[in-house]
Amino acid sequence: MAVKVVRRRELTFWEKLYIPQILSGLKITSKHFFRNLLLHIAHRLGLLKHLRASVTYQYPEEPRPLMSRFRSRHRLTVRDEGTPRCVGCMLCETVCPAKCITILAGEHPDPNVEKYPVRFDIDLGVCVYCGYCVEVCPEDAIRMDSGILDVAAYSREEMKLDIHELMNPALRKPVGECNLPFPHQCRLTGGQIKGSWEEVASGRR
Amino acid sequence: MIDVAIKLGLAMVVFFGVLNLAGLHTWIERKQSAIIQDRIGANRASIFGFKLLGLFHPLADAVKMFTKEDIIPARGDKVLHTLAPAFSVFFALAAFAAIPFGDRLMLGGRVIELQVAKLDVALLYIFAMLSLGVYGVILAGFASRNNYALLGGLRATAQMISYEIALGIAIIGLILVYQTLDLQDLVRAQGKLLGGWIPLWGIVVQPVAFFVFVTAALAETKRIPFDLPEGESEIIGYFVEYSGMKFGMFFLTDFLETIMVACLAATLFFGGWQVPYLMPDGFHFPWGGSFAVSHWTYVLMGVASFSLKVLFFCWLFMQLRWTLPRFRYDQLMKLGWLGLFPVAVANVVVTASVLYWLGGRN
Amino acid sequence: MPALTIDGRRIDAPDGSTVIQAAEQAGIFIARYCYHPGLSIAGNCRICLVEVEKNPKLQIACNTPVMEGMVVHTNSGKAEDGRRAVLEFLLANHPLDCPVCDQSGECDLQNFYMNFGLYDPRFEEQKVKKKKAVAIGPHVMLDQERCILCSRCVRFTDEITKTGEFGIFNRGDKAELGLFPGQTLDNAYSANVIDICPVGALTEMDFRFKARVWYLSSAPSVCNGCAQGCNIDVHFVLNRPHLNDGARIMRLKPRYNPDVNQWWMCDEGRFGFGWIDRGRLTKVLHHGVQSAWDEAMAAIASSLPQLRLGVIASAQLTVEELFLIREVFHDAQITASVPEAPGSSDDFLIQADKNPNTLGAAWLGFAQRDIVHDALQGRIDALWVFGHDLAKLFGEETLQELSSKLRLFVYSGTNENPTSSSATWALPAAAYLEKEGTFVNCHGRIQRVRQAFPPLLDSREDWRLLLDLARQINRPRHYRNPQEIFLGLAATEVRFKNLNYEAIGTQGFPLHD
Ligand code: SF4
Ligand code: SF4
Ligand code: SF4
Ligand code: SF4
Ligand code: FES
Repeated sequence: MAVKVVRRRELTFWEKLYIPQILSGLKITSKHFFRNLLLHIAHRLGLLKHLRASVTYQYPEEPRPLMSRFRSRHRLTVRDEGTPRCVGCMLCETVCPAKCITILAGEHPDPNVEKYPVRFDIDLGVCVYCGYCVEVCPEDAIRMDSGILDVAAYSREEMKLDIHELMNPALRKPVGECNLPFPHQCRLTGGQIKGSWEEVASGRR
Repeated sequence: MIDVAIKLGLAMVVFFGVLNLAGLHTWIERKQSAIIQDRIGANRASIFGFKLLGLFHPLADAVKMFTKEDIIPARGDKVLHTLAPAFSVFFALAAFAAIPFGDRLMLGGRVIELQVAKLDVALLYIFAMLSLGVYGVILAGFASRNNYALLGGLRATAQMISYEIALGIAIIGLILVYQTLDLQDLVRAQGKLLGGWIPLWGIVVQPVAFFVFVTAALAETKRIPFDLPEGESEIIGYFVEYSGMKFGMFFLTDFLETIMVACLAATLFFGGWQVPYLMPDGFHFPWGGSFAVSHWTYVLMGVASFSLKVLFFCWLFMQLRWTLPRFRYDQLMKLGWLGLFPVAVANVVVTASVLYWLGGRN
Repeated sequence: MPALTIDGRRIDAPDGSTVIQAAEQAGIFIARYCYHPGLSIAGNCRICLVEVEKNPKLQIACNTPVMEGMVVHTNSGKAEDGRRAVLEFLLANHPLDCPVCDQSGECDLQNFYMNFGLYDPRFEEQKVKKKKAVAIGPHVMLDQERCILCSRCVRFTDEITKTGEFGIFNRGDKAELGLFPGQTLDNAYSANVIDICPVGALTEMDFRFKARVWYLSSAPSVCNGCAQGCNIDVHFVLNRPHLNDGARIMRLKPRYNPDVNQWWMCDEGRFGFGWIDRGRLTKVLHHGVQSAWDEAMAAIASSLPQLRLGVIASAQLTVEELFLIREVFHDAQITASVPEAPGSSDDFLIQADKNPNTLGAAWLGFAQRDIVHDALQGRIDALWVFGHDLAKLFGEETLQELSSKLRLFVYSGTNENPTSSSATWALPAAAYLEKEGTFVNCHGRIQRVRQAFPPLLDSREDWRLLLDLARQINRPRHYRNPQEIFLGLAATEVRFKNLNYEAIGTQGFPLHD
């Protein structure tokens, strides 16, 4: 292997003196200091609001604008009659690199839909927010556009979303009552199947 | 009796002012760095919804420090461990006694020097106090019974002793010029005008000494770029085993020393409480105009002038702290012994020669 | 023997064979829907188009007899274009069901589209709607929209089961597959149409929506449902317990073996795997109370020498295990037969003897003996039962009498039943899919069962527990696994002479008296 010798440049006298360098450093920091200080003062007086004095966003009072392709918490899109668009094809479960999606499929009474998820859980404590699930879904049934960023909890259990929270992103833990009409398995019912298709039909009428 | 009361009053004023400024420094530190770095800085602590630009954070800090558990290492030396931070703070505070913060005040026939302790050897006294501060540091390192702390203490000691020498020699030139160790006299001497126009401040007659002094004094405070004894997030230092208010005391010492250095810089090189062209009876401008002021106004203007100068230096040191990267230890030692020390000595020799040549005053 | 060239390779094909068969013989795969080697040739799907030189039009490989000097191109541009066009037509009315279709992942429409289709769809018209999700029998679900009318299923019911339930009705794009009026698809082999249907038109009702096929792992084995020993593939999922309530086995599929079951298996065998994941005995029980293997083996080993032992082995055990029983209990009364009523049978695959290894037991010298009677008479005072539920065979009272009379009553079996709860010791045994071994079927063919997954929870293979017991009663056998046991057996039994697992392979080995 060829050896390449890199020589360090000798410092010049002025550089060794260090003082000019300190002064140029001070010039930079002072420029920022006075510019920002003046802007802060101007902002207090209601002036120059279009110039930002700092790059800081005062989250949560001032949320950062999200890019349109930003991946936030998942949601399941919903049909008109209040059932999920998802047909339980398990492609998202398959593609998920973190293996955090759990789907149990069931028979839908409409043979043109045929299949739907009885259970749909995402463990956000494990999810890596890659968005593959969204990309792979053939039904546009799962999206990451809820705009929810503040996913935090005191226990691993609470990081798990079930079909309620996925279908209704406005829901926050603790989810009060189980209001989904179609037969499904959720944590509120302790894993028991709850709901019936008659309820769905009557709700539509 | 009244004399004692006056002295006590002065001491209280200095004590109050300095400690508050030190407390405020934690806020300045945060806010100034934030503004330099395009941030906002701590602004969340509030009382009844008032945030006051984050001014409550120092208060919150104090509450936190006082309520935190005070941990003494099981095998450490309990007495010394407790004594060390007290040493540090005590000597740092005691030094302020000799700083003159205004001209003499005539009150009811009394002459009150605006200086807690009028000492003939004020300068020596201050340096003695600052040197004693080393004990706090080395004791902290030693009493913690922690290898890292001990090494940190040794680093700090080596650094402080090395730079004290340059510091001491740097001001000899000043003493040669002004012929006094009494700070009040020294400040008065700076009130003269050079050629009728330029105030005869230390910076004018001893610019080299000023740079050496500021550099060495900053090194004494153990703050960036000289924070090798203890570098908050990355270098374990002598107070690693301290928690709660004892830790707070070391922190306070840092700020007190910074203020001390600012006071010294103002007093020695920037005319202390002098206001250019202001004589006890009013302004006498070199272009011939004059403007009389009352005695009280004169004294208060002096105090204000001194305070402003100190605040400026505090700001400058803070700015430096957020501008410069840290030295490496060998660079630090090299700078002290091979840079500042010879320069300071040369400064003394040159000053002495010039003075001798100027008129053989000595 | 005509010689022909396919894709530049010279092939000598048997007389009367077709191009698709000749190509298969040379390892060249030609796409097919309607062609199935087990059925007559229909030639109606046209996906097998190949280019034959000196022939202006593309020919269907499945129905073109080989001829001397024929030159065939299976993947020339012309042939591919032809197949692509056929595929496009087949998919014209095909619903976009893949997300909900259980076939997806093993669907030949998907496969061939990815292999050579890859066209951009041009069909913009309304698709023809037909019936979806119709249960046409106890096991089979029909989706008429997905059917490509290859007629494989029709030919199966016409030619193999000769029940003729299926027919294709109407014409043109209205043509649809269905049952003749009043029929249900409930013959004993009905589920085979699911396997042969190349698309998702016929799907399994038992497996429906339980898992996606790409989740499945597969292991080759042999069905234990009857003495025929149909070759099977076990499809199971171990790492997704939320599917199917934690059951491991998802479905069984017949595995091609020309000498045993060809491509088929009966429904009874195909759907008779429920007991492997449900109702299992998972803990060692002492008088119905949970215990541990060490205690059980120590207790049994210490009391066995003083007792007169009778062993009821089982033709559900492997040859290796029966051999070990014979060795270890050489001074006991042993039998492998119990009075079982003969089950259903026919002249195709299903045998009346519902045990997979009856002949193996007979060849190892397991005689008929009424050990239960001996026990009731007090001629023996310890009984070891392998797998049988005595309550079902002899009645509840006999079982109670037995358990009160016997001083030691050991049951080793896979599932919980009255016998397991009245035995002194109930030992959980591994099911046949959880162990290695061999069965001898009713035609004298020895075939291997393979371990698809480890034994459930605390259960152990019978051979392992027998080796353990042998060591504890000072009759150690120095085998470490079924393969070594089999070698020991082959060394002593003439019928198995010179045999080993490699020779048996995946297709079995015929043995004769
Ligand atoms: S974002 Fe990625 S990791 Fe998260 S659920 Fe979707 S596929 Fe899984
Ligand atoms: S990929 Fe889409 S349709 Fe399929 S299971 Fe996931 S969310 Fe449902
Ligand atoms: S039959 Fe094949 S192509 Fe058709 S929906 Fe099912 S998987 Fe998809
Ligand atoms: S149901 Fe399947 S096997 Fe039967 S004709 Fe249709 S595609 Fe062929
Ligand atoms: S496979 Fe040849 S026409 Fe169907």
